[in-house]
Amino acid sequence: MYTLGIDIGSASSKAVILADGLRPVAGQAIQAGTGSSGPKQAVERALDEAKLTLSDIAASVATGYGRFTCELTDRQVSEISCHARGVSHQLPSARLVIDIGGQDAKVIRLDAQGAVWQFLMNEKCAAGTGRFLEVMSRVLEISLREMGAYHDRSSRPAAVSSTCTVFAESEVISLLAAGAAKPDIIAGIHRSVAVKVCGLASRVGWEDDIAMSGGVARNQGVVKALEAELGRPIKITPEPQLAGALGAALYAFDQYQSKNKTGG
Amino acid sequence: MSQIRELLDCFKKVATCPGKIVREYREKTGKGAVGCFPVYTPEEIPHAAGMLPVGMWGGETTLRLAPSALPSFACSIMQSITELQLQGVYDSLVAVIVSSPCDTLKAMGQKWRRQVPCIQFAHSRNTKIDAAADYTRREYQSIRARLEAACATTISDEAIQTSVRIYNEHRQVMREFSGLAASHPDLVNPIDRHMVMKSAFFMRKENHTVLVKALNGLLAKAAKKPWEGVKIIVSGIMLEPVSVLEVFKQNQIAVVGDDLAQESRQYRVDAPEGADPLDSLARQWLSMYGCSLIPDPEKSRFSLLRSLVEQRGADGIVLCVMKFCEPEEFDYPPMKAYMEKNGINLLQIEIDQQIQSVEQIRTRIQSFAEILRAQRARRASIAQL
Repeated sequence: MYTLGIDIGSASSKAVILADGLRPVAGQAIQAGTGSSGPKQAVERALDEAKLTLSDIAASVATGYGRFTCELTDRQVSEISCHARGVSHQLPSARLVIDIGGQDAKVIRLDAQGAVWQFLMNEKCAAGTGRFLEVMSRVLEISLREMGAYHDRSSRPAAVSSTCTVFAESEVISLLAAGAAKPDIIAGIHRSVAVKVCGLASRVGWEDDIAMSGGVARNQGVVKALEAELGRPIKITPEPQLAGALGAALYAFDQYQSKNKTGG
Repeated sequence: MSQIRELLDCFKKVATCPGKIVREYREKTGKGAVGCFPVYTPEEIPHAAGMLPVGMWGGETTLRLAPSALPSFACSIMQSITELQLQGVYDSLVAVIVSSPCDTLKAMGQKWRRQVPCIQFAHSRNTKIDAAADYTRREYQSIRARLEAACATTISDEAIQTSVRIYNEHRQVMREFSGLAASHPDLVNPIDRHMVMKSAFFMRKENHTVLVKALNGLLAKAAKKPWEGVKIIVSGIMLEPVSVLEVFKQNQIAVVGDDLAQESRQYRVDAPEGADPLDSLARQWLSMYGCSLIPDPEKSRFSLLRSLVEQRGADGIVLCVMKFCEPEEFDYPPMKAYMEKNGINLLQIEIDQQIQSVEQIRTRIQSFAEILRAQRARRASIAQL
């Protein structure tokens, strides 16, 4: 029995297929989000990977910013619940989940059972999100993939504002004009993301066992900056970008089970 | 059922067409409307003058002119009011009365740039000493004198006394409505509930009382049905725009009680009746509690919310923090700590009358509803063991 989770974000679309509510048999991420062909492509590729067709899927759930636009399913669960579920499934001891996606940053506090207890999201500003890093990557002419390696070469991280993406972009341009080294600027950018997320974490409440999901978790520079700010180690889920889609597939499994229980 | 719906539609019509209501009142009575800024403006005084006291709580508008008068960090309600004022929307009013409970509001008298007379006053900040009643009474006396000049009429003690009685009865009826609406979430959705509350700002209270009494009568007779969704208490200054309430409705969230300045806070305390009606009104102010805008060292708002959660069987609280409202922002950290200590779920959302998209709020509210449902399911499964 297979269930499908689709996470339609602002910058990317992800799909995970789960066998019997436990074993992931496919996971795909496409760098095209809501309003694009991304969701369809992610699902098609995941089905190909699992050698299945849509008719093999017993239940599906959509999550993410574009969850209500998904035509493949009529059940939507919020990304807060899905990320928490996906992370908790892979790292059961986690009590604080940091998810940095394309458009928002979330800090989710879990209770002793791994269920969502409290959460906070960034306000409307893009600072501290994947979009912020994308803007900086463009200004610096360094790909997002390379930013982690640059971070490691920094000896004196530059000071970059954490309050506004547009102002921070101007600051980075000024730093470049002043001849600051790119590794130092990048380490400063990562620290500014970490400071922003740290503010959310302090508001939601501290926990020691911290896990991170979302595409930005693949950037080791951000992870290191966050560990430094939080003063605690951070565990990364195996496929951080797919955590939300995995959570959605788990919710789809619940739905399948409850339908079968009630005979619906 | 259809009678209830008809009445609810009637409240909605009033709440969504204040301009038309004011025009009709003027044509029918030959008397005008007096704008009452939030919060706790003694409406009884313009009411006693035969005027239609109208609540001024801003509205959804694009800010084009307001930045010429207010900094960007002024709260969203005052931004909207200033924009509408500068557009001339309030020009048909006879006067406006402005209270001064916060840093932004106390400057609003200076920001009033239209011909309509602006009557600013201040409640006593210390409410624990007798001098506070004398001070507030004098402020109310000043409102009466300036209003008499603006309306070219006299406002007798007897007329104010009658208004105090009318307002006390209205408060009682509104408190009853809040309880009855909580018992019938299937009949009164969050938007309906808000419209009943909001319409009170655009009707003479004696007329609003008649309508709400009729609604209460029907609700009291209606059969109670189990509610499958979640139940919450809302707290804050106000819960608008309607698009946010729509999200509550979509997620099967019932508002079973509120601690909103625009809604139940103003109905919490009656004015004691006495020989001097202005003294009655002043003493009512001294008795008010549980509001971020009223000095309250004991922070009774938190225990009040806790009691409301328990009384109404709510699953949690949604704190609707008005954008750039400092008093509400200051209350959040101790409120969060209090609710956490008492095991009460609390969600904070930001209220912005200029909001263009509710997507972030949608995610927060949906997530909160999911948390509450999951907790309820867990409690039910434990109970079955």
